[in-house]
Amino acid sequence: MAVEEPSSATKLRKSSPDLFFPVSDSEEENEAPVVRSSATIAGPSSSSVKKENGSSSTFVSNGILDMDAKDEPQLFFGSQNSDDIVPLDIKPPPPPSSAGPSSTRKRLMSQSPPSSIPQNFEAGYLGEFVCEGWSLSKGKGYCQPGSKVVFERPKPQKVITEEDARAAARSKEKAGPARLVNGKVVGAKAKPIAGKQMTLGSMMGKKGAATPARKPPGKPVVDQIIRFRNERGFVGRLSVQEAGFLTHLLDTGVIELRGHVIDCPQSLSTGATILLNVKVYLARQAFVKVEKAGRKEEGSFWQEQKETIEEEVMRKRKDALGALFSRIGVKPLRSNALLLAQKKNGAAVINETSLKHFNSPSRPSSASGTKRSPSPSKGSTGIIDKGKGRASAVNSDEEEEDSGDEAEKLDDEQMNEIDTIYRKAQQGDNRLEETDPPNTFLYTLRPYQKQALTWMNARETGDTSVRDQSLHPLWEEYAFRKEQVEGQPIEIEDEEDFVDPSRKFYWNPYSGELSLTFPVSNNKARGGILADAMGMGKTCMMASLMHLNREGEAIDNPEDGTAVDGEEPASKRPKFKQVTLSNQWRAVPTVPKTTTSARATLVVCPVSLASQWHDELGKMSDKGTITSFMWYGNDRTDVDRLLGQEGKKKVDVLITSYGTLASEYQKWKKNKDKPNYEGGSIYDHEFLRIVLDEAHNIKNRTALVSKACYELKGQRRWALSGTPIVNRLDDLYSLLHFLRLEPWGHYSFFRSFVTIPFLNQDPKALNVVQYILESCLLRREKSMRDKDGRLIVDLPPKTVDIQVLDFSRPERQIYKHLEDRAKRRFIQLDAEGRAMSNYTSILAMLMKLRQCVDHPLLVLGKATAEDDESAEKLLDPQTGDEKTSLKEMIAMYAGGATSETTSDAETVDPVFAAKVLKELGEQETTPICDLCQNEMFDEVLLPCYHRSCQDCIVNWIGTCEDQNEQANCPSCDKGPIGFSDLRSIQRRRRRVNPITGGYTDDEGLPASQGETAVTIGKVDLVSSTKLRALVRRLEQMRVEDPEVKALVFSQFTSFLDLIETTLTKAGIRYLRFDGSMSQAQRAATIEEFGKKTKEPVILLISLKAGGVGLNLTMANHVFMMDTWWNEAIEQQAIDRVHRLGQNKPVFVTRYIIKGTVEKRIMKIQRSKTALVNASLAGGASKDKQASLADIKKIFGLGEDDSEDEVY
Amino acid sequence: MSLPKRILKETERLMADSPPGISAAPKDDNLRHFDVTVSGPESSPYEGGIFKLELFLPEEYPMNPPKVRFLTKIYHPNIDKLGRICLDILKDKWSPALQIRTVLLSIQALLGAPNPDDPLANDVAQHWKEDQSGAIAQAREWTRQYAQ
Repeated sequence: MAVEEPSSATKLRKSSPDLFFPVSDSEEENEAPVVRSSATIAGPSSSSVKKENGSSSTFVSNGILDMDAKDEPQLFFGSQNSDDIVPLDIKPPPPPSSAGPSSTRKRLMSQSPPSSIPQNFEAGYLGEFVCEGWSLSKGKGYCQPGSKVVFERPKPQKVITEEDARAAARSKEKAGPARLVNGKVVGAKAKPIAGKQMTLGSMMGKKGAATPARKPPGKPVVDQIIRFRNERGFVGRLSVQEAGFLTHLLDTGVIELRGHVIDCPQSLSTGATILLNVKVYLARQAFVKVEKAGRKEEGSFWQEQKETIEEEVMRKRKDALGALFSRIGVKPLRSNALLLAQKKNGAAVINETSLKHFNSPSRPSSASGTKRSPSPSKGSTGIIDKGKGRASAVNSDEEEEDSGDEAEKLDDEQMNEIDTIYRKAQQGDNRLEETDPPNTFLYTLRPYQKQALTWMNARETGDTSVRDQSLHPLWEEYAFRKEQVEGQPIEIEDEEDFVDPSRKFYWNPYSGELSLTFPVSNNKARGGILADAMGMGKTCMMASLMHLNREGEAIDNPEDGTAVDGEEPASKRPKFKQVTLSNQWRAVPTVPKTTTSARATLVVCPVSLASQWHDELGKMSDKGTITSFMWYGNDRTDVDRLLGQEGKKKVDVLITSYGTLASEYQKWKKNKDKPNYEGGSIYDHEFLRIVLDEAHNIKNRTALVSKACYELKGQRRWALSGTPIVNRLDDLYSLLHFLRLEPWGHYSFFRSFVTIPFLNQDPKALNVVQYILESCLLRREKSMRDKDGRLIVDLPPKTVDIQVLDFSRPERQIYKHLEDRAKRRFIQLDAEGRAMSNYTSILAMLMKLRQCVDHPLLVLGKATAEDDESAEKLLDPQTGDEKTSLKEMIAMYAGGATSETTSDAETVDPVFAAKVLKELGEQETTPICDLCQNEMFDEVLLPCYHRSCQDCIVNWIGTCEDQNEQANCPSCDKGPIGFSDLRSIQRRRRRVNPITGGYTDDEGLPASQGETAVTIGKVDLVSSTKLRALVRRLEQMRVEDPEVKALVFSQFTSFLDLIETTLTKAGIRYLRFDGSMSQAQRAATIEEFGKKTKEPVILLISLKAGGVGLNLTMANHVFMMDTWWNEAIEQQAIDRVHRLGQNKPVFVTRYIIKGTVEKRIMKIQRSKTALVNASLAGGASKDKQASLADIKKIFGLGEDDSEDEVY
Repeated sequence: MSLPKRILKETERLMADSPPGISAAPKDDNLRHFDVTVSGPESSPYEGGIFKLELFLPEEYPMNPPKVRFLTKIYHPNIDKLGRICLDILKDKWSPALQIRTVLLSIQALLGAPNPDDPLANDVAQHWKEDQSGAIAQAREWTRQYAQ
């Protein structure tokens, strides 16, 4: 195709106008070049047009040529072969009468894009509308209804800027065609087509007539003037409101206009109103891809910058087209569900927000451009209104109102429901096919996991048929209309009718782009988000995928865009290069072509899970099929060498941590641009697949670790996370960016469509997110059912046993005391209206109560913050009396009662005493307590040598004291006995030292086997109801199942300390896992816990540290020692055990103390988990009021405090 | 509400291995509420009679004693016409080491050894003191009349 320098166009310009309309002489023309659009005159029916096809070039649309289109749509796509276009109705090639046209043609040719627009496409008829213009002429006979008019733009004069340069270039392009028309007309003497057209000859004839009243186009005054004139040179201008959105489009050659006069006064006067019918055609130029300058500055571009010139042009174009579509009443044939949903709620809103990104100060009424669904007041009926002379702002005003009204209707409730976001992505997932993993994968997959494999495989191989392929989310489908032929019966186009694909075109209302080819929803991203709920085997599924897709495609290295574009099994449509914004915006660093196809998978995960990945991959894979290597720590081997290894030592999976990656990234970034950089970084290697485990680690897009992940080179990208959206929708963005999912992986897009609408409480944000997720996210939950209605995850049964315990008397006394004080203080604060300002200290008081329920000693724990002050006051009330009492009570509790006199043992039968002592030494089995009829627990010896459980006898003594009676031995009625008379009996059992694993006695000395020593000591009352209940149960379990493993959760590490002490005393082996431990320690602990042992092992876990990620299926008993505000957290903790891989029934025991805050917390927990979660646990200040109500309930002050005595 | 383990154990043992002449079974709707029968001890005026009682274990049991009452009319100086029983272990001599079984055995023993010196039904006690054989005959008559 020939390219001609602009001079020829200029030359042409000089010569051609005179040939046709003698409107402007050449001098004027030079000063103010005229941009013209179509030039039909006389009669609404399309003019006869000659089609010229002599050269190998294509006509760029314009004027008369366009008119063919309406009658002969096939012309658009008639032939792809540029050399033999012979449209049916075309006259024989005209003699090359003038040099002008042909040279113009050549020039234009060079402008046309190579592939995306069919060669013979010129323009498509969009539709028509009626508008008003004003006469600029005076006199009679210049025009009459039916006379055709040409529209033209005076060239505005501006300071030459880059933009202007471009605009100028465009207007030249535009000017070209305009002249071409003229030239052609002149040269070809085109004949009427189908006899309906006014002949050119007649036009020529008229042209010859005088043009007396013609006003010279003059200097450009305003930017928005569109003139029209007929063959007689009559000149008028379009009303400002219409011209507003047309000017830009005309200037950039996006549209062409043709028209005729509908009505005008017999005798024109300046300013007289003329009604015009304007037909709009989308020119070829409209479909030419607009190059973006933004592309070269990709690095910084997507941090919100000022909009570039190109963006401004596109924005204006978008607005103008939107207004035009709405003006004409063009409706999309197809639009994606997302856009439809948005429209329902008021299209203007989303656009308003989407525009915020492109915030330009000079945005007059851009929202007007965005309303695409025509309302009755817009189409042709609205014209009369408009005709009454509204200002140019009419469109925007109206639509602003609309959007305002509709915005208020938005449903705020949707904002709360994150779950609904996933729902759309889940639709129909249970009908996915199942794929069996290859034999090298040793585990058996569950059906839903096989479904995931199908989906993941499809995502990797680009097979879009698994889920329906859809129109690109941002595009809408339209059809060119059939032009109405005068005299013919009006053909009513039914929208339901089949529309010839060749008549379809596509518009992106967000970017302003137009396309003739079907914009497929982008599938370039290979990979996706696997977001199955916790414990469903994401690791396992991913491993099976690694086995299934071992090699990348040979063709591969989908460099930037093009290759993949070609591969896309887009449709059966002609494969033209798709013109999408996303092509431009792919933020993909250019990948150097490597000859070897990438083979390795990179797994990035938290350090604590690295060894788990390594182990599991090893277990799941047939020997030698998939080898993994843990690559982290300080002594990392060279990646290149590692991955280059072949044969036995080859590495298929490289496992690294987020931390390692971040430090590699920093190193690489520092060195990569140095001239002596030799590569060798992980960033120089291209992976077949990159897997981010617990991918929410990169939710912060600005974090180093996130950037480190973005920069990795890989053909396929996966993010695994049970919680892709942690607490903000923005969390999702980072994942999408990592996946390079277009266009959402682009921050400005995401921000415009999701973040900002969401902040504005616009539920459409959720629609968008749903739409995004539908394509790239797979999420199943344990509770979901397969197509046959069975639960997809079949876990062993879980039994939750809520043990309601009663305080021992001293405990209850302490608790009561504490609670009364807290209650009083709260009531006081509340009455004074200071509850809100003392919110944290109230929470601290509650904390004390919750601790007291676990163990009274916890209350004495050190105050950590000044917030605890008032909680401390609970212990140190101003009134001296109470001050002593509570602290003393606890002290007494801890040390055992400081009783007066020990009762003498003289009354004890010495024979009995001797027998008891002998028994104590020999006894193998634990005696039965007379009081509780169970085996004695915390055996104590009474002065009379009777024995009992400590709890029972303490309780009995307390009961007697309450009744002001003296407590006697329940068995022999000797007494009185007091707390201090009790002696604890400690048997030294063989037991395991938790640290060394060896057998020792209590003093840590090796004990000779079979020997049982007994010591009788002071009663140790440093225990609590819950502790004793726990130990009792553990002892019992030890008998039932000697290898039992159990988890014990508490939210207070200080309580864990006490449990440790007690377990040590009881000789039960335990391990501990809490937040103070390093990753290595944690991993070692978990490993230790997993080892097979011949004795019970208890893992003490702090609720907050051990809630996530851990897989502890080796245990099947869970003890929840206390109640957390949020039930979900507790649920998570239980899920450590009750998850995939668990094959024993799971038993959960929760300890609740009767008549305490715990009971009421549980009640609230049930009623509104979410609120409690947000306000109490998070300390969010917003919901303080609501949580104060909850606190009242916790104190038993709520109005509905029905004291159901269940607890 | 869960039943303390001790109560379960006691119930089990009562059902499986009840003392001679005594039966006790918890009601279906309240496991702390027992239907009890005690047969009159041999060579006592109550011999041959089957006496119905009800027994209730309070919340505080075993720290507090069970509540027991005769449902069958009985002529006994320590049992009033409402069926209330005067027995020290059901009052101040209660010890948590005692059980339902021991309580019922004590009651059975009480039938064999009426104690008119610590009366609850004063008229009966009076009768017993003044005319023991007459009172015993009356007791025997009541037993025949009400407990057979």
